[in-house]
Amino acid sequence: MKFGRSIGLLAVLLSALCIGGLLSVAVTTKSYSESYPAVVCPPTITGLSSQISLASKKTPFQRLQNRTTKTAPVKVLRLPVKRDSLVFNSEGVTPVVWQSKASSWAGGALCTGPATSQWFVGGTADITTKGRLIIVNSGLSDAIIDIQSFTENGKQPLRTITVVSKNYLIIPIDSLAPGDKNLTVHVAPRSGRINAFMIDEQGKGLKALGGDLINFAPSASKSVMIPAIPHQIVKNTKALPHTLRILTPGDVDANVTAEVLSADGVFVPVGLTSRSISAGIVTELQFTPNITSTIMGIRITSTEPIVAAIKSTVTTSGKKDFVWSTSAPALIPLTIAISGLNPLISFTGESINVALDVTLNNGKVVRKILKGTDIATWRAPESARSFTIVKVGPDTFAGALVSSVNGYGYFPIAPGSVLTKIELPDSNIRVLNP
Amino acid sequence: MASLADVDKHRVTAVLVSHNGAIWLPEVVAALTSQTRPVDLITAVDTGSEDASTKLLKSARIPFFTTDRESGFGQAVSLAVDKLPQRVDHEWIWLIHDDCAPAPTALAELLNAIDDRPQVVMVGPKLLGWHDRTHLLEAGISIAGNGARWTGLEPLEYDQGQHDGIHDVLSVSTAGALIRRDVFEELGGLDPNLELFRDDVDFGWRARTAGHSVIAATSAVAFHAQASATERRQIDVAGAFLHRPLLLDRRNAAYVLLANSSWWMIPWIAVQLLGSAFVRALGYLLAKLPGYASDEILAVASLIVRPGMLLEARKIRKKQRFVTARVVATYIPPRWSQLRLGTERLFEIMRARVFPDDKSISVSILDSAEDEDLLTPIKSVNWLSVFKRPEVIGFLAIAIISLVNSRNRLGAIVGGALPISPSGATDLWRTYFESWHQVGMGSSLATPPWVAVTALASLIVLGKVPFFITTFFLIVPLLIMWTAFLLLKKLTSNNWISIPAAFLYAISPVTIAAISSGQIGTLVLLIFVPLVAMILHDWWAIDKYSWRKIFAVSLLFSLLYAFTLMSFVIAAVAALVVTFENFKEFSLTQDKNLWFDRLRKRLALVFVPFMVNAPYSFEAIINPSRFLTEPGLRVPGGGALAALTGNPGGIGSVPLWLISPIFLVLVVSLFSSTCARGIAEYGVGALSMAVFFGSLSISTRGNEGAAKVWTGPVLSIVTLAAVASGTVLLDSLRQTLILSHIHYRHFLSAILIFITTAYAVVAVGLNLTSGANSAVQANRATVMPAFLSVEAETKILVLREIGNVSEKRIQYYISRGRDIALGEADVAPQQNPAIAQAARSLIDGTGIASSKTLADYGIKYIYVKNPFKKEIIRSIDGLGGFTRTSATSLGVVWKVSQPTGRLLFVAQDGVRSVLEAGEFGARTFVPGPGTLILTESSNRSWQVLQNGYRLDRTNNELGLPTFKVTESGEISLLHDGTVRRGWLSLQLIFLVIALVMALPSGRRKSEISEEELA
Repeated sequence: MKFGRSIGLLAVLLSALCIGGLLSVAVTTKSYSESYPAVVCPPTITGLSSQISLASKKTPFQRLQNRTTKTAPVKVLRLPVKRDSLVFNSEGVTPVVWQSKASSWAGGALCTGPATSQWFVGGTADITTKGRLIIVNSGLSDAIIDIQSFTENGKQPLRTITVVSKNYLIIPIDSLAPGDKNLTVHVAPRSGRINAFMIDEQGKGLKALGGDLINFAPSASKSVMIPAIPHQIVKNTKALPHTLRILTPGDVDANVTAEVLSADGVFVPVGLTSRSISAGIVTELQFTPNITSTIMGIRITSTEPIVAAIKSTVTTSGKKDFVWSTSAPALIPLTIAISGLNPLISFTGESINVALDVTLNNGKVVRKILKGTDIATWRAPESARSFTIVKVGPDTFAGALVSSVNGYGYFPIAPGSVLTKIELPDSNIRVLNP
Repeated sequence: MASLADVDKHRVTAVLVSHNGAIWLPEVVAALTSQTRPVDLITAVDTGSEDASTKLLKSARIPFFTTDRESGFGQAVSLAVDKLPQRVDHEWIWLIHDDCAPAPTALAELLNAIDDRPQVVMVGPKLLGWHDRTHLLEAGISIAGNGARWTGLEPLEYDQGQHDGIHDVLSVSTAGALIRRDVFEELGGLDPNLELFRDDVDFGWRARTAGHSVIAATSAVAFHAQASATERRQIDVAGAFLHRPLLLDRRNAAYVLLANSSWWMIPWIAVQLLGSAFVRALGYLLAKLPGYASDEILAVASLIVRPGMLLEARKIRKKQRFVTARVVATYIPPRWSQLRLGTERLFEIMRARVFPDDKSISVSILDSAEDEDLLTPIKSVNWLSVFKRPEVIGFLAIAIISLVNSRNRLGAIVGGALPISPSGATDLWRTYFESWHQVGMGSSLATPPWVAVTALASLIVLGKVPFFITTFFLIVPLLIMWTAFLLLKKLTSNNWISIPAAFLYAISPVTIAAISSGQIGTLVLLIFVPLVAMILHDWWAIDKYSWRKIFAVSLLFSLLYAFTLMSFVIAAVAALVVTFENFKEFSLTQDKNLWFDRLRKRLALVFVPFMVNAPYSFEAIINPSRFLTEPGLRVPGGGALAALTGNPGGIGSVPLWLISPIFLVLVVSLFSSTCARGIAEYGVGALSMAVFFGSLSISTRGNEGAAKVWTGPVLSIVTLAAVASGTVLLDSLRQTLILSHIHYRHFLSAILIFITTAYAVVAVGLNLTSGANSAVQANRATVMPAFLSVEAETKILVLREIGNVSEKRIQYYISRGRDIALGEADVAPQQNPAIAQAARSLIDGTGIASSKTLADYGIKYIYVKNPFKKEIIRSIDGLGGFTRTSATSLGVVWKVSQPTGRLLFVAQDGVRSVLEAGEFGARTFVPGPGTLILTESSNRSWQVLQNGYRLDRTNNELGLPTFKVTESGEISLLHDGTVRRGWLSLQLIFLVIALVMALPSGRRKSEISEEELA
């Protein structure tokens, strides 16, 4: 055949292509490591008591200041903490810490993995404060942390501190901006495995004005959702006021509008439309919405990234307390331990469609479907040890409100640690070439 | 013979010595008898001739007697003189060789010259060639300091009377020399130790130091065949070991110098003799004349073993000496004149090779028809027309494109596969020769030969390697286009086809990708593949190639293998395929000789370069990934599909949507009826190989992760085949298309030309715009910050995110405080599993023991190069065992808390301390007994010496070399490079053999025709 060899060569080429295709499929080049970072709960400072809600009695933990890396199972679902900060390998379940001062105040916070940026909107540095900023270094090396405070008087001098390894530091928040009333603190570690917690406790002389554990926002954003704000109406007529605290950390003033989401409808309270917020100045706006719902959410939109929180006055067991409701991230599938908390969960969003599994103390799992618009609430059963968000629609947010004998608390529904998938590195001399 | 006392006062006795000289003897005898001044007496001595010499003498009625066959010339003459009648005044002996015919006036002129010169005792004629009687052989002789026979003439000098006259000389040849009998006898005749050769110089020297004069009278002429020196007859004298004239000549030359020179000159002369003997021996070896080479060495050796003979000779000369030996100094040629002559000869040989003499017949001016010039229109040179020539347009275009494309590469370039160039060639040489490389945990792998080639080539720019590399990348498109043009113009006479085709080759996807990603190996291949194709175009019939050509091509292949061993794979596969075809032919013809001849030559062609590249190539056998790698860092290729389009892919390559016409041209050519089909067959074969290689993923030393093979070297062949077959196709098709009606060929051609043009336009556009922002850039900031280079030879674990924006990967390597340099990536060691685990644990946050592991291996710092994931930085912060020492915009540095270094000492009580250690070796103090740990990869060449003894070496549980120290004191750490030196010597031997085989062969004198010898 005249072109026999030519056709043969093309056949060889085709075969090479086929073999090549098979060989390419056979090669895998990447390997990953998947893990949940250990979460850190705050220490219990003198005069307070703490309990940590856990989803399993087998959850391994260790005391922060233990030099060994050995862990032990918690053996209980609600772990009282005497003093030390605890580190949990809760593997995707977020423990919740509940701290209280007898007959004074109570508050809740999420135990989270190390953070690279934490915004605490709340607290005061004036003479009423007994607040503390707690910096926990759960790493094995010393850590350097920048603390930047903002008040109604603007940006305060940067404070840089060092926290030795496996230890924590308690800073009175009045030392951050002595005398200033409206405080917002940004904690940004330069190095180290750092978690920060803020306690806002106020008192006037011997009179306790209440307190709370302030949850943090990881970053400033142009849209902030605060999904659960307690709105108490005293004697069925008078609603207690709320204070919206806002900071624009950037250099440009922000134009802010706040929208109340409640069972009574969605509206913009008077005075919260297109409010100009000066950059770097912590601004407080008072509002008292005239609604009958006891829970509401607030959506704040801004022209510049902001951080915000709402301070609500509440009474519980006849005592006055306040709650800092902070922003929550968009809801994603997660599990939160709520043993002994019996929280009221508030979901906000334009179209709420959430499926959650509640794990009861006896091990049974109950599926709950929540649907609604703007706001929907659900109270976890008392016997629930944890709940898991199984399915959630987009742009849905949630926060939890907990009432106890000592006071009222809030925590956002957010994962304390997310599954970290890290591609394991290869040795490659190319790293030494520009 | 009648006495001629009446003619002049002299009496001349001619002594004719014959030895197998029947060829020349008749003319010699005739010449003697026809002298215008007849000889008074002729006597002849025959030294055991086996031819018709004695018969001829007898028939010429010349009285003669016969001596032993082994008798030397001087001995024969002395015997003849002894038998002469009683000496008379003014009696002269005229020494005549049996291959030397004096002109009829020779004797008369000789006697005429000495008439007024009573001090002259030896006079010789001008010696001309026997065959070419215008060739001036000698007009007096001397001896150079290195023993060379010195005539002061150029080789094959034409006699135009330029040396005529009477000259004072050291000596004259015994052929036709007239010697006064009394002096001859006083001096004891010719030295009997000099049976043949150099006896003339020796006698002249002795005559001079005895206070006499020696002259050359050029008015006397003799024609000399130099039969013994030119190996026209066998040398049978007693001293001629193995009948080798060169050996005898060199031995006698040394004898003359050592016997006659002053004592204080002897050491210097001995050095000169030895040195020149070695140099000449080397020259003869290069010229493939090992016999002559051994003659040179044996000559000196044979003299050295008999010092008594020399001492005796010197004693005799001392007795005969009346004036200082310095009188001969003026006749010994100065060394510079030998050097000048040697240089002139070398340049003449080179000139003759490069610019061979024009053999065309020159036209006499008398033959020119000047009248016709008036009718011819005057030619005017239009300079603008130069720019209309395709060569000028093409090369100018590629030069401009290259210049614009290189606008970010003007400076010390780095990036892609190209590491930082060291500042000087010496650094490259050191990298090549050193037995231990401070890369990663250290490596004893053989440096690839391309490092040595680059070092050598950089000498063009005085060893400035960065400048050389930059210049190379700047001009490489021109070189690629030029070599392609050399090939293509052999395929078509139409430059409007060959130049665009060469241009396409120079902007082909593989060229662009290779330049952009710094693939030196592919670029070298792109330059040389057209030349290989030119040389080996008919390699099916390799039996027609001479062995010299095979070795010359092997040297070219060696260069290509040096840059990438993928060229070995290509050559091996090609040889295998062609050998299979040859075998099919053999099975039909049963021509065993042809089959084996072809097989041998193909094997030599493929494997000789492999051996020349030893030990690097040998190491590839145990590290097969080396067969598929390029110099420098490994850049992943684009895979099989990219290769199918002729695009190697990877960083810097043209986008895959820019499909080049390579595949289409090859397929079309495959079904052509022209010779384009044959070319396309090679192309498609290579393309199949490229597709297969492109699908492979390999991991190499220094790069743990598997990545696609870079197919550039194979694609350079594919591209050239496509360009060449396209050229042939277009050249033959053009005429067909013009003459035929429109049919499918027209459409096919239009599609091909459209795709080709579209590719060319877009490729040039990309080259001129985004092409400059390639991975290879000039003046880039180094990876390692300067402050980490302060501590010499500190090991640092470097973590960095590598890749493009869409896909970044964290990778790590151990640095020695600096970025890697040219050649180091090729010798990178395999990563230690423990260190790999420690590095991985740092990333995933589980590395509680990482700090200890790193300290055990002498790694002092961790450096995370920005930009990097903050979470991982936090993770390292949280691990413990590390102390942050800095965090700048460049990156974050942690120091390993545990004390560590290159040389650790663990005392008997378990206390670990760090000892001072240099870059390679170290001299340091050990405080007491204990264990010395060298935190380098294990290698048996590591040695520690204490008090002159070698300490016991073992490997500890980590695989690190440890040494048992029994007492305190100073120790020396060294890496013994004997093995490396051995391998390099072997490589040099292979290279020299290949070089010698490739060089043109010299000829033995016996092989040179008489016409050439004159």
